[in-house]
Amino acid sequence: MHLDPFELHRPTTVDEVVRLATELAGRFDYLAGGTDLLPNYKMHLNAKPHLVALEDVRELRGHSDSRLGAMERLADLEADRTFGRTHPGLTDAIGEVATPLVRSSGTVGGNLLVDTRCFFFNQSYFWRSSLGFCLKADGDRCHVVPQAERCYATFSGDLAPALLVLDAEVEVAGPSGRRRLPLGALYDPGGDGIRRTRLAPGDLLVAVHLPPGPPGRRARYKKLRVRPSYDFPELGVAVAGAWDSERVRSLRLAVGGVETLPRRFDDLTDPLVGTPLTPEAVNRLADEVQRRVRPVHNTFLPPDYRRRMVGVYVRRAFAEAREGSAG
Amino acid sequence: MSSRELLSFRLNGHPVEVPCPSPRVLLDLLREDLRLTGTKRGCDLGTCGCCAVLVDGRPTLSCLTLARLVDGRSVETIEGVSPPRGLNPVQAAFVAHGATQCGFCTPGFVVTATALLRSNPRPSRAEIERAISGNLCRCTGYIKIIEAIEDAARTEE
Ligand SMILES: Cc1cc2nc3c(=O)[nH]c(=O)nc-3n(C[C@H](O)[C@H](O)[C@H](O)COP(=O)(O)OP(=O)(O)OC[C@H]3O[C@@H](n4cnc5c(N)ncnc54)[C@H](O)[C@@H]3O)c2cc1C
Ligand code: SF4
Ligand code: FES
Ligand code: FES
Repeated sequence: MHLDPFELHRPTTVDEVVRLATELAGRFDYLAGGTDLLPNYKMHLNAKPHLVALEDVRELRGHSDSRLGAMERLADLEADRTFGRTHPGLTDAIGEVATPLVRSSGTVGGNLLVDTRCFFFNQSYFWRSSLGFCLKADGDRCHVVPQAERCYATFSGDLAPALLVLDAEVEVAGPSGRRRLPLGALYDPGGDGIRRTRLAPGDLLVAVHLPPGPPGRRARYKKLRVRPSYDFPELGVAVAGAWDSERVRSLRLAVGGVETLPRRFDDLTDPLVGTPLTPEAVNRLADEVQRRVRPVHNTFLPPDYRRRMVGVYVRRAFAEAREGSAG
Repeated sequence: MSSRELLSFRLNGHPVEVPCPSPRVLLDLLREDLRLTGTKRGCDLGTCGCCAVLVDGRPTLSCLTLARLVDGRSVETIEGVSPPRGLNPVQAAFVAHGATQCGFCTPGFVVTATALLRSNPRPSRAEIERAISGNLCRCTGYIKIIEAIEDAARTEE
C-alpha cells in the first residue's frame, strides 16, 4: 500500500507548529505516532497534502502525576508502575488500547483525537468505490443511517472516557495563545459527526492536565471488544468517584465506543451525591445509561447487543472499581 | 525540504545514507530500497506485527513509521538481532521448540521477544503473552512460541 505524496514538516517548538498550522489550515494533518492516521492514509481516507510531524517538539513529551504531554507514548505511561498504581482507571484504559506494538508509538493526544470508525469507512478505496463512497470520505450519503447530513461513525478511543471521569482538562495552543478547557468541551456534539471537536484551524493539543481527585477516589474502565488483545472498543465504560455504602461523595460516569463522541452522564450521577450507593442505585443508573445510548450498526457487534452490554459493564465497573494507592 | 533528501541513520550498527521521499514508510525502505527482506509485510496496517523492528531499541511497527522520521536514529531489523554466525537465543529456542511453521510471522516474534528479554530478562508467562499480543501467527497456536521465549529467557541467564 502506498501513501499519496505529501510534504513533511518537522517543527521543533509549539510556536512553530501553530505558525505552520495556521498557514496550512485545511491542507494538513498533524502526525503524532501515526498509528491511526497512517492506516487511514494508506486507504486514501481524507489524506492531506501536508503532514506536520510533532515528533521533535520536546514540550509535548513527558508525564507527571498531574500532566500528560500530548506526545507521550502510551507504552511509556504503561511502563511507569508508580503512575499505574496511582491512576487505576486510566491505567486500565491505557493497557487496553490496541496492542503493545501499537502502544509503543501511539500517543495520548492521538488517542483523544483518533478518527471515528465505521464498517463502511475503514475500507480500501476500491471497496468504498463499489458502494459510491459515503459522507465521511468522497461521497454524499450515509450507508448506516440513510440521509445526507450527518455521519454516525463511532468514537473508538479508550482514553477519553477514562479521562473524562477524572475531570481532565486539555491545554490547547492556538494563534491567540494558550487556553485550557475541560476535556468534555473539546468534543463538539453540535457538529455533523465529521467535524467533532472545538479545535480551530491552527490549534494544537499540548497536554492533558489531571486535577487532584477527592481522597479515596476509586476508578475503573471496562472495555468490550471482540479480540481482547487487539480490537478497538465496541463499548467502553469508565467510572470514578469516592463512595461507600453510606454516602457518595463524588461520582462520574462516561461511555465511549457506542456513539460519535464519548459522553459523560453528570445529570444522572450528580443527584446520587450525598446518598448511599446501594446495589439498587447502581442498577437504576446502569439501566438509565443503557436506555440513553444510541449505537448504530457500523461496527462488528450488533448495536442491540452493545447497548445491552452497557448496563452490564456499568455494573461491573462499579463492582471492580479500586482505589489508587500512593507510591 | 526536497522530496528526495538523503536520509541517514544507523542500520544494524552500520551508518547508511539513502535517498527517501516523504511518503516512504520504513518497511518499504528496508525491503525495497535496502533489500533487507527479513522484515515482513503482513497487513501493512498495524495489525499483525510481522514488520516489527527496533528503533533506538524500541519495538516499532515499520509499516506505520515514516522512514524520514528515523533520521539520526538507530534501527535494528531481524538481520541485526541475529549474530553474524548462528542464531540468537530466541531464534535457537524457536528452532528447538518448533515454534515456527510457515515462518512468515517469525521475524516479528523474534524481534518483539528479543526486545522483551533485553528490558525484562526473566519475564513471567503472563508478561510474555502480553508482550507478543500484537504479533499474529496463523499456524502455531502460540503455545510453542511462548514456551520458546520462556526457554530463551532461562538459557540467556
Ligand atoms: C491494530 C490497531 C488497533 C487499534 N486499537 C485501538 C484501540 O483498541 N483503542 C484505541 O483507542 N485506539 C486504537 N487504535 C488507534 C490508535 O493506535 C490509538 O488511538 C493511538 O493512541 C493513536 O495515537 P497516535 O499518536 O498514533 O495518533 P496519530 O495517528 O498520529 O493521530 C491521530 C489523530 O490525532 C491527531 N493528533 C495527534 N496528536 C495531536 C495533537 N497533539 N494536536 C492535535 N491533533 C493531534 C492527528 O492529526 C490525527 O488526526 C488502534 C490502531 C491500530 C493500528
Ligand atoms: S456512519 Fe455513514 S457517513 Fe459515517 S462513515 Fe459510516 S457510512 Fe460513512
Ligand atoms: S505489516 Fe506492519 S503490522 Fe502488519
Ligand atoms: S508460523 Fe505461520 S504465521 Fe506463524
